[in-house]
Amino acid sequence: MADMDRNRRMVAIAKQNLIESGEREQLIQLLRTRLLECGWRDQVVMQCKDVVRDVGVENITLDKLIAEVTPKARQSVPDSVKRELLQKIKTSVSNQSSFSTSPFNHN
Amino acid sequence: MMSSRICEHLETFKANYGLNSYQIIYKQFISVTTQESRKRKARNCICFTCRLPVLRLHSCLYCVFFGCFTEHHIHEHSKTQKHNLAMDLSYGMVYCFSCEDYMHDKDLETIAKKQKRRADKVRGVRCTQYYRWEPTSQELQVLKDNPQRKRISENSHIGLRGLINLGNTCFMNCIVQALTHTPLLRDYFLADRHVCQFEADPSMCLVCEMARLFQEFYSGKSSPHTPFKLLHLVWTHARHLAGYEQQDAHEFFIATLDVLHRHCRGTNGPTNNSPHHCNCIIDQIFTGSLQSDVVCQSCKGVSSVEDPIWDFSLDLGPSLHMRQQRASSSTQTICDESEPKSLIDCLERFTRPEHLGSSAKIKCSSCQSYQESTKQLSLKKLPVVASFHLKRFEHSSRFHKKISSFISFPQYLDMTPFMASKIGCKSGSNDSSNVNSYTNGVANNDNKYCLFAVVNHSGTIETGHYTAFIRQHRDQWFKCDDHLIMRASVQEVLDSEGYLLFYHKQILEYE
Repeated sequence: MADMDRNRRMVAIAKQNLIESGEREQLIQLLRTRLLECGWRDQVVMQCKDVVRDVGVENITLDKLIAEVTPKARQSVPDSVKRELLQKIKTSVSNQSSFSTSPFNHN
Repeated sequence: MMSSRICEHLETFKANYGLNSYQIIYKQFISVTTQESRKRKARNCICFTCRLPVLRLHSCLYCVFFGCFTEHHIHEHSKTQKHNLAMDLSYGMVYCFSCEDYMHDKDLETIAKKQKRRADKVRGVRCTQYYRWEPTSQELQVLKDNPQRKRISENSHIGLRGLINLGNTCFMNCIVQALTHTPLLRDYFLADRHVCQFEADPSMCLVCEMARLFQEFYSGKSSPHTPFKLLHLVWTHARHLAGYEQQDAHEFFIATLDVLHRHCRGTNGPTNNSPHHCNCIIDQIFTGSLQSDVVCQSCKGVSSVEDPIWDFSLDLGPSLHMRQQRASSSTQTICDESEPKSLIDCLERFTRPEHLGSSAKIKCSSCQSYQESTKQLSLKKLPVVASFHLKRFEHSSRFHKKISSFISFPQYLDMTPFMASKIGCKSGSNDSSNVNSYTNGVANNDNKYCLFAVVNHSGTIETGHYTAFIRQHRDQWFKCDDHLIMRASVQEVLDSEGYLLFYHKQILEYE
C-alpha cells in the first residue's frame, strides 16, 4: 500500500517536472503529430461517428463517447509510436534532478 | 456530445459573472507560455481531493477548486457547493452539472481560440489548429439558393470532356486536356482563386478564360466542348500561333504558360521575366531551376549559374558531339555513344558534362584568360510539375524530319540522380544527406514523380495528328482524341511514342 502511494507520488513529481520544464507540452505535440501521421486520429474520429450514430445524436454525451471509444483507441495506438514516446519520456525523466519541494505542501 | 441547445445555466453564469474567470483560468492553466506560469501550473494543477496531478482535471467556475472527473471529485464539489459549472483544464470545455454534459458556448470558444493561437505563436508552433468549416449565414443562403449537388465517387467521370477540333486545333486540344488534368492547377481554378488583373478589358484575360474552361470541364456535362474563345485569345496574345495550320503542341504549351504567367501578373507594371520574383500559380507549379556549372579545364575552377526552367527539351538522335565527329572526319570513328532509348537516357545526356570545344572557349575569371571548359547542367530546384519535351522534330535548313524512334518512359520517375546536390561537380560539400533522410522509417525523398499526361503525335511532320492520354484519380487513364474520350490502359500509355510527358511530384499520403 505504501509502495503504491510512493509510486504514485513519484509519478506525480516526474509529471510536474515535465510540465515545469515545458517538455510535457513538446511531448504532447509530438504525440499528436505521430498519431495524425499514422492515421490513428482519423480512425478514432470514424469510431466516434459510429458511436454517435448508434447512440443517437440527441442521447450522446461526451462521457458516453469517451467510455465507448477509449479502450479500443488506446489499444490501436501503433507500437512504434508508443516506443518513441516512451523513449523520449524516459530520457526526459532521467535527466530531471530530484526536486526537494513536495508539491503537496502548498496548503 | 456538445448539445446544440443553449445552456441556460451557462447564460445565467455569464450574465452574473461575465467571461473574466474563464479567461483567467484558461490563460493561467491551459495556454501557458512563460516559465513562471508553467511552474504555477505544475504545482497547482492537482485534484484537491486526491492530491494528484490527474488527467481530466476540472476547475470550478465559481470558486477555486480543482477536481478530477474520473473519480467524480469535481462532481462531489458541485453537489455540495451547488456550483453547477466546471471547465476542463485540457481543452477548456465547460461542463454543466445540471445539463449533465459539456455545453457549447460561442463566447467562451472565441476566448479559447484566441488564447490558444496566442500561445501557439509564442511557442513557435508551425501548424495552427485546424477548425472545421462552419458556414456563415450568407454561405448557408448561397447553399440553399443553389440546391444542385454533384457527388464525386471513385468512378465518376467528372472532369472528362471532349474538345471539338476547330480546324487542325488538335495541338491545342491536347494541351488543354493536359492542363485541365494537372491536379494543382485544377484545385486552384476550382477554388476560384484567380483575381483578374485586367482592369480595362477582363474579357481579354486568358486566366479568366482558363477558369471558365475548368468550370466547363467539371460541370458534369458529357458533350464535347467547343473552345473557340480560348482559341481566339491565344491567337490574340500569341500571334505566331495564329492561323489554321497545324502548330506544334509544345510551342503552344510554352506560349500558353507564358501568357497565363503574364496575365496572372497583370498588364500594369513592368514585365518581369524573372520567375524568381513571381509567385503566380504558373510559376508555383511549373517553374524549377537549373544549375549550370562551367569548369575551366586549366585551373578546374567552377563557376555556377542558376536559371529558371519551365520544361525540359530533350535531344534525341546522335549527340552534337557525335554529329560533329561524323561531319568533320572522313574516317570511321568507333564511338560507343549510343542514341537515347529511354527518358532516363535523355536526362542522363541532358545532365552529362559537355566539353565545350576549342572553338568555344570561356573566359575564366581565375586564369584571367580564355580556356577550354566543360559545362554541366543539373537540377537545382524541382518544379512541382515536370514537363518533358522529346525533340522529335528536326527543323534544319536542309530537311524537316521526324524522329519516330521509341523512347520508353516510366510511370514513376525519380529525379534524384539529376539533382545538383547529387551530381556535385566538385562542390566539396556532401550535401546528399537530404537525399537519404528518413522520418518514421519512411524515406523522405521529395524527388519522386508520377506520370499524369502524355501528348502524342502520329503521322509525319507534314500531316500529323495530336492525341493525349490523361490520368484521372490515381490510376485511370483515358485517351483524348479531340471530341472522343476512350478508356485506356496504363500499358497503352507507356507503349505510346511519347512527345510531351507530364509528371507531377508525388505527395506522400498515408492509407
